[in-house]
Amino acid sequence: MDTFGLRIISSDGVFYEGRCRKLIIPAADGEMGILPNHENMVIAMAIGIGKLELTEGEWKDVAFGQGFAEVINNRVTLIVDTAEKPEDIDIRRAREQKEHAEERLRQKQSIQEYYHTQASLARAMNRLKLSQNRRWNL
Amino acid sequence: MANIREIQSRINSVKDTMKITNAMYMISSSKMTQAKRKLEATEPYFYSLQGEISRILRHLPEMHHPYFDKREKIPADERKIASIVVTGDKGLAGAYNHNIIKLEEEILARPGIHKLFVVGELGRQYFAKRHIDIDTHFQYTVQKPTLHRARDIGDVMTRKYLNGELDEVYIVFTRMENSVDLEAEVLKLLPLERSSFNEMIMPLNMYREAIDLYPSAESVMDSIVPNYVDGMVYGCLVEAYASEHNSRMMAMKSATDSANKLIKELSVLYNRARQAAITQEITEVCAGARAQKRKRK
Repeated sequence: MDTFGLRIISSDGVFYEGRCRKLIIPAADGEMGILPNHENMVIAMAIGIGKLELTEGEWKDVAFGQGFAEVINNRVTLIVDTAEKPEDIDIRRAREQKEHAEERLRQKQSIQEYYHTQASLARAMNRLKLSQNRRWNL
Repeated sequence: MANIREIQSRINSVKDTMKITNAMYMISSSKMTQAKRKLEATEPYFYSLQGEISRILRHLPEMHHPYFDKREKIPADERKIASIVVTGDKGLAGAYNHNIIKLEEEILARPGIHKLFVVGELGRQYFAKRHIDIDTHFQYTVQKPTLHRARDIGDVMTRKYLNGELDEVYIVFTRMENSVDLEAEVLKLLPLERSSFNEMIMPLNMYREAIDLYPSAESVMDSIVPNYVDGMVYGCLVEAYASEHNSRMMAMKSATDSANKLIKELSVLYNRARQAAITQEITEVCAGARAQKRKRK
């Protein structure tokens, strides 16, 4: 099967660089799959969980923050502010972050602060969701 | 010739100062390695973000979007120009803060209504003393830059820009070229300018195709640009943090070196004075003894 070049760059380093077979990223209106030789495209990404198939049949989950994906000439570049593997996620911290965000949502705040908190809550829930998935296959 | 005790106390005071500068040197150099690691991790993001945005803009059809709006109708002296100025929290960093302040004053000299958003205590006090309009709610330190802080700053800027409270947004910071070359720089954050992204020179025969934007050009720009601003602010903060510690390290190193030199010179003087005193004492003793001897005869 064909592969494509994938580079995932997050604000704290290059997260992944290499070949990839299939990629699923969270977009604003649902998930989007990218196969080799995809049409050139720039996609706005939403906070969510992405999947990459690096070797046949083996899917890896990644929690993505805000960012965008760019497909050009069979090369995919994801530029996101955060990208985390499930094993790197601190469940307790994520839970605290979620509680903190929920607490703030209950208080009166400006529209801007509201969006801010909402994004923070989305990130926390995203992390929790990803870490919850692997909870039972210890 | 100076008094021995005077020289001695001078040496001691230089030594005390040297202890401080040496300690600061060590602190800065350890923070510096930290900052450098962070910088290395962030650099790919920072540069590829710039590169990708410039690539997208190059391929983008002409479009009207609030982030590209230069608001040319507003005359030059009524434009509201914001600058984010990244200075250190304290001095003792050589020319680091001065270069930033000098650059910012060049911007202030241009026509327009200026508004400053100062990151770092030193700059805040400097501009407050000169009665320049500073946003007082904008209280961020430069220590340990985090993405969270950058997001806060970036959001404030994009919101104010979209509201029309600001027409142009710049960021003034120090870029670390390498460990010796630090350069104060101005970067325009908003509005986006196609020409400000350095265009790659493309060979004529290269096939360049159009890029589809999904879901739509507008929504892609809506989500990318605030992200871009946040990312740039973060990158700038990290660069500035590393530069600050680098220049403080160098300043403290040269201070320690010159203290060492001073101590060396002073101890030569001290020894000379001490020897002179001893010689004088011996002469006096000898003269006294001779006088006594002559008397006994």
